[in-house]
Amino acid sequence: MENLEAARLQMAITLIFHIVFACIGMVMPFFMVISHYKWLKTRKEIYLKLTKAWQRGVAIFFVTGAVSGTALSFELGLLWPEFMKHAGPIIGMPFSLEGAAFFVEAIALGFYLYGWKKLPEKFHWFTGVIIGISGVMSGILVVAANGWMNAPSGFTYENGVFSDINPIEAMLNAAWFTQALHMTLAAFVATGFAVAGIHAYQIYKGRNIELHKKAFRIAIIFAAIAALLQPISGDISAKDIAKRQPAKLAALEAHYETEKGAPLYIGGIVDEKNQEVTYKIEIPKALSFLAFGDFDAEVKGLNDFPKDEQPPVAIVHYSFQIMVGIGVLLAIVGLFYLLSLKWKHWQNHRKFWLLFTLMAPLGFIALETGWIVTEVGRQPWIIYQVMKTKDAVTPMPGIFYSLITYTAIYIVLTCVVSWLLARQIKVLNQNEA
Amino acid sequence: MLTVVLFFLFFSLFLYVLLAGADFGGGIIELFSSPKNQEKTKKTIYRVMGPIWEANHIWIIILIVILWIGFPQYFNIFVVYLHIPITLMLLGITIRGLAFIFRHYDAVKGRSQGSYNALFKLGSILSPLFLGIIFGGLIGGHINLFSENPNLSFKEIYIDGWFNIFSLLIGLFYITLCAFIAANFLIGEASDENELNLYRKKASYSTIALVLIGFVILVYGYFNEIAFVIDFIENKYSIIAVVISGIVLIPLWEMIKQKRKAWARILAGVQVFLVVSAAMLAHFPDVIITSTKEISILEGVAPDSVIQFLGIALLIGGAIILPGLYHLMKSFQLIKLFK
Repeated sequence: MENLEAARLQMAITLIFHIVFACIGMVMPFFMVISHYKWLKTRKEIYLKLTKAWQRGVAIFFVTGAVSGTALSFELGLLWPEFMKHAGPIIGMPFSLEGAAFFVEAIALGFYLYGWKKLPEKFHWFTGVIIGISGVMSGILVVAANGWMNAPSGFTYENGVFSDINPIEAMLNAAWFTQALHMTLAAFVATGFAVAGIHAYQIYKGRNIELHKKAFRIAIIFAAIAALLQPISGDISAKDIAKRQPAKLAALEAHYETEKGAPLYIGGIVDEKNQEVTYKIEIPKALSFLAFGDFDAEVKGLNDFPKDEQPPVAIVHYSFQIMVGIGVLLAIVGLFYLLSLKWKHWQNHRKFWLLFTLMAPLGFIALETGWIVTEVGRQPWIIYQVMKTKDAVTPMPGIFYSLITYTAIYIVLTCVVSWLLARQIKVLNQNEA
Repeated sequence: MLTVVLFFLFFSLFLYVLLAGADFGGGIIELFSSPKNQEKTKKTIYRVMGPIWEANHIWIIILIVILWIGFPQYFNIFVVYLHIPITLMLLGITIRGLAFIFRHYDAVKGRSQGSYNALFKLGSILSPLFLGIIFGGLIGGHINLFSENPNLSFKEIYIDGWFNIFSLLIGLFYITLCAFIAANFLIGEASDENELNLYRKKASYSTIALVLIGFVILVYGYFNEIAFVIDFIENKYSIIAVVISGIVLIPLWEMIKQKRKAWARILAGVQVFLVVSAAMLAHFPDVIITSTKEISILEGVAPDSVIQFLGIALLIGGAIILPGLYHLMKSFQLIKLFK
């Protein structure tokens, strides 16, 4: 395998895993503090038990996220030294602030985990809130740095030299807001549905129902609301991409030819060689409308871009379809849950719980495919229209072995975490029985 | 502002060496204890280090972020030529993190604890070993730049720079330093006379080993004409720092004998501070030494505008983080205030 391919694959695998750990670590504290709040208010033991169970989850994911984050902060340099040499100073601002936010999170976590019965109750609870807020801040800042790769700003680039660097302008690049909004909502959707799904499965199996219902209700409320808001944020993102990164838009829609009143493709099999999409459903003029708010707007096709500036089409198109499909499905299921608050008897059916169990992995699948759209859709650029990915890769040969090492590490991490969580739930249920 | 940035760079390096060192050291002490004492040590370590465990390891992220933002050229050499030991160090950190999670968050406390402990000890050795090797590689004068000679082989470029006796000695030195920090730290936390004696013994062994390895490094470096060591010996500030650190050992031992935890900890911290300072002073600002030249960290420093913002971010971050960290340590009695 070539060095560049190995490096790209390694980066992809690392990020795919890290995103899961990071999102859960970022969203779960919110569930935890709500349960904690209910315990303080109602003094029902069951909320205390739930808070402590979730707290263990938060701690496990924080440590895993910190370990994989440490590896990642080095990997950026190890794999893409040329990129970091130039981009490091420019996008350093969000990274240094992220470091600070992460640190605050670690301190708050220390207070929270070890503060039971030692700290004043309200202050203790508040440290939990800080964990959540600083976690979301970290997430937003990291996404802002990624936004810069899509919409580079805050510098002048001439003859391979970066000058007039303005870190604030770089941080507040044109993509940061849409991306951060979309990602934060996605984190809540994915984690919310995953956590709710795990508890729904326990209810489905008839284990410790009272506790799991309380847990389910807290998680699903976040998930449902975020899932309903997500399509709006998705629309903003699509319009933004249409304006800023037309090649990405063309790839995710698999449009080869430029046309006015472009149709929207749903599904379909991409034939990259013959530049065709077969077996698709076509909605006339819909793409022009969705991208530009005008049924007759011109949408640029891939063939308008030089061959060496076209992103891979098939993977981007498929990923985009999966993301949007799941997004729509989860919004419907979210709405379904909110309606079930009015028609309570729905929740008496076992199938209700089965439905939410099946939803558990979907949010994360959408989140991962969404990142594939962003990252692969930007190729061949690492800094959009400034630096190509192939010019950023490390000169050291043999990255293939590094790829194997890191993949192994992350697979082990994931197995460990899943196994530990399964054991937590088992013990939780046993104590109840 | 550059001074502020350099200060934070040094400060986070020092805190990482000290706090993560104490943490790594705990695992190393566990390794060198009898099975019965291991369990005791493990409990004490967790009780003491638990609340700040997460925070300790974030200093390395701060360190790396400051490097890549403020000193991109330096960071570039670091990640290109020391790719392999950095990866191995990350492996060590990961193994350790894993074992830590296992040890403390496995809901079932069963036989599997044995293998978690083994992993934990392995990680506790690997991480500081490779951290030391990386540092040794940076200053050892064995790095061969391919920009100067395009015909070099893979081994000459990517392995010789760090895989040598000098780097290995620095690795051993850091392992011993970790054990030293942890032992002195744990003395203040022992629950009974028996445990106290255990840590005292470890503290004295590690001190002796530290002095010995330090001496071997100087002798080896001197006779092999390693630029860093020669400059170290010729630099009066480094020598002063080393001499003071030797003198500080005397009050340190006195305080341990009198069981004055706060002072013992402060003096052990001062020791580490002096060692890190001595190493930094010897060569500052040329903190990369290759086989042909010395490269200053200030060479290719980021533009002024970047350093300005970085400095401000660090000051604000520091103003939020440091009091928080202080209160965290105080709340859990990691800092014993003087009575």
